[in-house]
Amino acid sequence: MVEDAATLEHVERPAPNRPVGPWRAGWRRLRRDPWSLSALGAVTLIVLLGLFGGAIVSRLVGHNGTRQFAYAANSNLRPVGPLTRIAAPAQPPIDAYGILHAPPKGSPTTFLVFGADGPLGRDELIRVLDGVRASLEIGGGAMLVALLIGLPIGAAAGYFGGFVDAVATQLTETVMAFPLILFLLFANRYLTQDIRSVYWGSIVPQGVVGDIVLIGVFTSFYPMRLVRVHAAVLRHSEFIEAAHMVGASTWRILRRELLPHLIPVLLVWGAVAVGVNMLAEIGLSFLGIGVQPDTPTLGTLLSVQWGTVFNPKTYDSHSYTPWQTIFPMVTIVVTVFSLNRLAEGVRRAMEPRALR
Amino acid sequence: MRVARYLLVRSARGALTLLVMIAVVFALYFAIEKNPPIQNYVYGTLATKPQATQVHVVRKMLFLDDSKPVLFAHYVWRLAHGDIGHDRQIDSSGNVVDGGSVAFYVYPALRATLSILVGGAVLVALLSLPLGAISGSRLGSWADRLISFFALLLVCAHPMMLGLVLRSAGNGFGWPTTGYCPLLGHGAIRNIQTGLQTGTCGGPVDWAAHLALPWLTFALLFLALYTRMVRASVAETINEDFVRTARAKGASTARVLGRHVLPTAGLRVLTMVGMEVGTAIAVSIYIEAAYGIDGLGRHAVQTLGGEGPTLNLPDSLAIVVLITLIVVVGNLVVDFLYATLDPRVGIGRDPGRTKSLVGGVF
Repeated sequence: MVEDAATLEHVERPAPNRPVGPWRAGWRRLRRDPWSLSALGAVTLIVLLGLFGGAIVSRLVGHNGTRQFAYAANSNLRPVGPLTRIAAPAQPPIDAYGILHAPPKGSPTTFLVFGADGPLGRDELIRVLDGVRASLEIGGGAMLVALLIGLPIGAAAGYFGGFVDAVATQLTETVMAFPLILFLLFANRYLTQDIRSVYWGSIVPQGVVGDIVLIGVFTSFYPMRLVRVHAAVLRHSEFIEAAHMVGASTWRILRRELLPHLIPVLLVWGAVAVGVNMLAEIGLSFLGIGVQPDTPTLGTLLSVQWGTVFNPKTYDSHSYTPWQTIFPMVTIVVTVFSLNRLAEGVRRAMEPRALR
Repeated sequence: MRVARYLLVRSARGALTLLVMIAVVFALYFAIEKNPPIQNYVYGTLATKPQATQVHVVRKMLFLDDSKPVLFAHYVWRLAHGDIGHDRQIDSSGNVVDGGSVAFYVYPALRATLSILVGGAVLVALLSLPLGAISGSRLGSWADRLISFFALLLVCAHPMMLGLVLRSAGNGFGWPTTGYCPLLGHGAIRNIQTGLQTGTCGGPVDWAAHLALPWLTFALLFLALYTRMVRASVAETINEDFVRTARAKGASTARVLGRHVLPTAGLRVLTMVGMEVGTAIAVSIYIEAAYGIDGLGRHAVQTLGGEGPTLNLPDSLAIVVLITLIVVVGNLVVDFLYATLDPRVGIGRDPGRTKSLVGGVF
């Protein structure tokens, strides 16, 4: 008899009857949607390219994004275009008058896939890859900062309600009615040099942390609002009341009952927010604040070419180098599009009955 | 009567917002300008210590010696009479005199920005309603997929990026792409970098021609949001009973969409417009920069974000007051239209507003 019980335990239950959790069900739905799946693949690829692409390409071609090639620009300081092989001698022959002579015979050459970045003659491909990394750091970091500020305040305001909630809501509504970029501009005056000058090798370039703080603090209204609305609705639901009745503490209810319901919403928000923060970083670069022009981000790569809002550069056929703007532009559009499409896919997967 | 009371209450709230914003600007200004760099304002004091009289004159010019409540009350009182503010300057004999009204350059800037915003909004409505209707009435069709794809793609661009690309394209076709022409009367076109006059223009045709590309830029950026709104609204409404009734009567598809479905969708869009006024101003900053238009956004950036530790009080006040007025009046008009057009929404009740998940930053 004992043997029978043991064998019974080994028998697999028939699959269709097994309950499927919301996450597994969501993943199954996401997997069935080819567009969402390819968006997920694209985002993964871009993140991997951003994180490791610069280092790998540097190792392959033997120079990094800061090395300046004397032969990458002609005498009019016009940089070479994409897919160009140039001479790269260790010591370019420059005479006492600063004139660059032809490269010595048999000097090593290098291949610039995206061309050179300007009169300084740096490898545009590595700069774009480094820029993607810096932009992703700003987008993701600012999203996390906004979440860290917005989640606790929003959850508390929505769950407890009351007078403070009403005042906070009115305040956020009023602030959000104004163009946020003007707040960013104004706050930038008071961003101390301590925050701005934080850096960690070439992994987190100088100025990135400043942008993260600036964008993160001022976009925290969005998760705050989102969490507040959901918490205010969920607070009256039956499972929260049940948790109250069995004597769960408020902290436990917030953490174990409320938070799991917020995660799908916050996932969707997070994916969109990373993209919008990357666009915000471009905006900061165009305003001439934030990361210094010499450090590559997708924003500075564009603003170096096009000038800032204060001092836009006019079109000049001699210095017209379209590849320097096309590559960052395509990168930013593809990145933000994939992030938005991924958010849409997650939303559809987690709320299958919502309108497509 | 009800409408009048509603308007009154909403105007009072708007006025309160305006007062709060003015107070905030005053507070920030006096917090910043505690110790102004005197040598920046008076010649010959870089090496030597400025004299007491010089310090006094500079502090007076910077509004620092005035009583703050009196200054605030005076400003609000003058504003109520339509005076947006006056600069102060030091004349040749070292006295503080009136430096002229800031209205001189602020109102032309406001005119340019409002032209961009209003024209752009009209273009958004003209494009998003038909596109959303096509998309929403045939969910899942190739037209729907195409429209949704491009709508999602365009929202991934930055306004300055889109503006400069369109400007290059316009240059290629010889379209006038820079500067602003006044709708009425004639104005000088100036090079925004050199300040030199490059020509004159004016009148409705020039106005529309010079603003066509800024409007297009504006519309393409906002199209995504509104097309999706209209699409969702149309897709929801199209299965309602009154639509089926209209179909049963034998109304054509165009009539069903135009008369029964789109007005409902239009109302939804209207509530969103009110919430997005701030975003529109932010977008306008970049559009003005891309097309070299001397607008309010440009002045806002230069006043609030310029280099250096100082802030110009009359300029900052004028900019903040005008932007607040655009936001407040925009919201008021939208709420009023919504409440009068949709009989189900009681006036005075907050219409269920929606705002995009993230945005307004750029």
